[in-house]
Amino acid sequence: MKILVIVSQTQDTEAKIQVSASGDSIDTGDMKWIMNPYDEFAVEEAIQTKEKHGGEVVIVAIGPGRVIDTIRQALAMGADSAVHINGEGFAETDSYAIGKLIAGEIKKLGEFDLIFTGMKIIDEESGQVGVQVAEELGIPHVSLVSKVVEINTDAKKAVCQKEIDGGHVVVEVPLPCLITCPDAMNEPRYASLPGIMKAKKKPLTEVGIDDINYDELGFGKDAVSKEGARVKTISIEVPQIERKLKIIKGDDEPMVKGEEVAKAAEELIKLLREDAKVI
Amino acid sequence: MSNDVWVVVDLKLDGTIRKVTFEALTEAKKKLVDKLGGQLCAVLLGSGVSGLESELGKYGAQKVYVVDSELLKDFNTEGYVIALSELIKQNEPAVVLAGNTVFGQDYFPRVAARIGSGVAMDAIKIDLSGDNNLQIERYSHSSKAIQKQVFHGGTTMMATVRPNSFKAEEAPATPEVISGSVELNPGDIKVKVIELETKASDRPELTEADRVVSGGRGLASEENFKYIYELADILGAAAGATRAAVDAGYCPYDMQVGQTGKAVSPNLYIAIAISGSVQHFAGMGSSKVIVAINKDPEAPIFQKCDYGIVGDLFDILPPFTEKVKALVSEG
Ligand SMILES: Cc1cc2nc3c(=O)[nH]c(=O)nc-3n(C[C@H](O)[C@H](O)[C@H](O)COP(=O)(O)OP(=O)(O)OC[C@H]3O[C@@H](n4cnc5c(N)ncnc54)[C@H](O)[C@@H]3O)c2cc1C
Ligand SMILES: Nc1ncnc2c1ncn2[C@@H]1O[C@H](COP(=O)(O)O)[C@@H](O)[C@H]1O
Repeated sequence: MKILVIVSQTQDTEAKIQVSASGDSIDTGDMKWIMNPYDEFAVEEAIQTKEKHGGEVVIVAIGPGRVIDTIRQALAMGADSAVHINGEGFAETDSYAIGKLIAGEIKKLGEFDLIFTGMKIIDEESGQVGVQVAEELGIPHVSLVSKVVEINTDAKKAVCQKEIDGGHVVVEVPLPCLITCPDAMNEPRYASLPGIMKAKKKPLTEVGIDDINYDELGFGKDAVSKEGARVKTISIEVPQIERKLKIIKGDDEPMVKGEEVAKAAEELIKLLREDAKVI
Repeated sequence: MSNDVWVVVDLKLDGTIRKVTFEALTEAKKKLVDKLGGQLCAVLLGSGVSGLESELGKYGAQKVYVVDSELLKDFNTEGYVIALSELIKQNEPAVVLAGNTVFGQDYFPRVAARIGSGVAMDAIKIDLSGDNNLQIERYSHSSKAIQKQVFHGGTTMMATVRPNSFKAEEAPATPEVISGSVELNPGDIKVKVIELETKASDRPELTEADRVVSGGRGLASEENFKYIYELADILGAAAGATRAAVDAGYCPYDMQVGQTGKAVSPNLYIAIAISGSVQHFAGMGSSKVIVAINKDPEAPIFQKCDYGIVGDLFDILPPFTEKVKALVSEG
């Protein structure tokens, strides 16, 4: 099996964020960068599939030089090789262009069976790239797969479970297909020390922004810029919600206990009624 | 390109229309249609859906495009993609909106890629820019930031809207019903549903609810989730959960609130035995009033809630629920 995983690098979830001077992006000055958490599930699922059915796992990523760290992490987890579309400026464009560029490189990789990617990237949270890559490649997709039930390499099909409102569905999809991964579909492994050592020697192909054949992609290079983007961010704001922080505690220790319980329950109801006016 | 604004109808499993469709119709009329000078249209896709048109008229739809086909059953992504992109190509609306539901997130971006359009997901505000292009606001960065985005124009502009972000108001119209000329072939449908399991629930849906009661890992068992359901039912609230609770099997996945799960912004959010992780807050941090019951005084949620009790849920909840019940029955 040839399995591809689209991975991205993102700003740390825990990070305190600050709007940059230009007012239309987040200051990434000393931001910690991590592998997009949903992509960790995608990499893990790909490696488990390879372990079961044999074959290779190829990482595809797009972004500036720092993205190499994330690619190395995926290789250290057990992927075999990687393609890096390397350039600044991709952050300025929109998901439509990102999807086109990624699909364009994937087309050059020859035949493949499966593509895994995260359900969304946690900084932009656009939630469209995976599905759009599938469309560009003309292959079916199944989004938000909670469990890959079965992969049948002979019949060339996959059976996946996905959760929907009020229940779940199990679908059968012919290969090749693209699967988007939510959290909790598996337990992503850590990169081992030998894994990290080996990763350094695994093949990594760099594609420069000028190596891309835009005519072939069917859209102009200008679309890969802020001005050309179909959707552009013009401002960003960090909303400040003031919370009241009225916390009822016990008299002697923080926990409300014993006889204090009834009074605390009463007090909370009074606050909800008279202060917040919500019940 | 026409000046029409479309809203794709979001259906529930039982075939009824989701509230978000009426919200989108109302907001589109107010913010987009009048300025653009086109018509407000609904797009009704599904199997056995004919007959819902008048309900769409109630919220101002002047035209309803209908594609009623067996091949659109069970939220068939590929069927929806073909039907909607064909209709868009034939009619070239200025704007197409849909609800940011689990299904909307699945087919909508694919339609955008097919017709070469830009799309914005999960808008909480919609408007027009000075040159009449769609302009939206949406959360990003684990809901810690709000982005304002504007469309380039020149192609149909597409966006999904977050449920519960706008108010639905009736504005009766008698819609013209147009049967969409779209050809769907069984061969186009590659993804086949082989099992569909649904559980009916009497509780309001999370994304539509005005009040939400959620439980976390501290509930410790599926059995104990009865405390959550009991309080939710007394308050007429939806029941939610954290990933830790879902993972542990205490409750079904569709109750998960957060970055992966549902985004909610009710008037009242009661978080029981929930620590308050960034990922959970990404889904409920914009709630108007947040209440926490947690036994750990150091739990992060106590730094970002309005009211709370430091205590054991098994001590606090029974008398609290009892008193709320008494209050509600008093009226
Ligand atoms: C990519 C990614 C996506 C994620 N998406 C989501 C998401 O969508 N939604 C989500 O919720 N999480 C999500 N998470 C997980 C998140 O990081 C947290 O692990 C999770 O929210 C914790 O759930 P919890 O608060 O129930 O559990 P814990 O953090 O374990 O907290 C349990 C709390 O219960 C309290 N408690 C225990 N017993 C009692 C008692 N008897 N009485 C009172 N209090 C008690 C404890 O003091 C503690 O504060 C995601 C994580 C990742 C990596
Ligand atoms: N800028 C990007 N560079 C590389 N991959 C991306 C980028 N944006 C999104 N992706 C990939 O597409 C998936 C869906 O992300 P998104 O649609 O942007 O929320 C992510 O899990 C990534 O693997």
